[in-house]
Amino acid sequence: MSLPPCVSLITHPPIHYCRHTNITFPRTVFALIIINKAGGLIYNRTFHEGGLNKISTNDYLVLAGTFHGVHAITARLSPIPTPGANRNSASSAGTMTRPEPPSGLEVLESENFRLQCFTTLTGIKFLLFTDTTQTNVDLTMRRVYEMYTDYVMKNPFYQLEMPVRCDMFDRKLLSYIREINNR
Amino acid sequence: MVVYSFYIFDRHTECIYSKSWLPPPAASSTDILPPTHSHPQQPPQQPPQQPTSSILTQKQSSDNAKLIFGTVFSLRNMVRKLGGSDDAFISYRTAQYKLHYYETASNLRFVMLTDVATLSMRNVLHQIYINLWVEYVVKNPLSPVEHKGGEGVRNELFELGLDQFVRGLM
Repeated sequence: MSLPPCVSLITHPPIHYCRHTNITFPRTVFALIIINKAGGLIYNRTFHEGGLNKISTNDYLVLAGTFHGVHAITARLSPIPTPGANRNSASSAGTMTRPEPPSGLEVLESENFRLQCFTTLTGIKFLLFTDTTQTNVDLTMRRVYEMYTDYVMKNPFYQLEMPVRCDMFDRKLLSYIREINNR
Repeated sequence: MVVYSFYIFDRHTECIYSKSWLPPPAASSTDILPPTHSHPQQPPQQPPQQPTSSILTQKQSSDNAKLIFGTVFSLRNMVRKLGGSDDAFISYRTAQYKLHYYETASNLRFVMLTDVATLSMRNVLHQIYINLWVEYVVKNPLSPVEHKGGEGVRNELFELGLDQFVRGLM
């Protein structure tokens, strides 16, 4: 992590081993879901059979909508009073000290899987379902986001907020995740 | 590690116990709780100490409890749908806090909000269930079967035990 972000993204160190035993962990990415800023499902792909239950596309749509709502609530539930709640001081200090807006759900853990959520500044949510032993999903997430920007956003035929149907994105994503899963 | 608050929901989705360990916000008109003396915010029978702010606080915390239940319930269903019916939702984390969840076989739900650095609190919630809930609430002959409005949960031993246990963790 000492590398500057741009370098680490390009070279992308592929080794993820336990520091104490030097044994490589099986890193498994089960699925990726992309939710647009309105809570609609725009991309959904399973990479590993047997990791998650098979559910219908309709259920995925419901899941995306539910998650969108829950994500908004979790952002509001923060028990710590934010500095922004104190309006008098915030207005006098100006925009320089505007606090970070509360973030919603970032990581969810269950007995069988781990869900990492990344929200872009434009409100698009990337949901990566992984093995419970995975800890450094941030890197995978960054790479996926990078691919999204490269092969979806730069695709002239892609319409914003609409389901992602880009061959290039599919192929690159699949080969990248396969590389992780087979490691 | 810091524990912010703790909630118990019964199988009828009602919040039967809630407690906050947060100090009251310094420069706010509506205080949450006095830091040392704590009382469950949930029960509506509780006589309000300061007429206006206490009612407001009670309403706020009851709204919060409902939101937490909704979140936890949705996530639990989502997890069970994806991970199979034997899967269990354990926790989620945002940039500000972490929520831990433990559900018993009888659909009693324990929820705890802590800071983000805290590791899994599942065993802690399990301990609370075994050592406090079962000992002081279930084994209490005067305690009703259903804890409507927190009845039977707000007994001295349970509250004291919980407070000591959680303060011991911090």
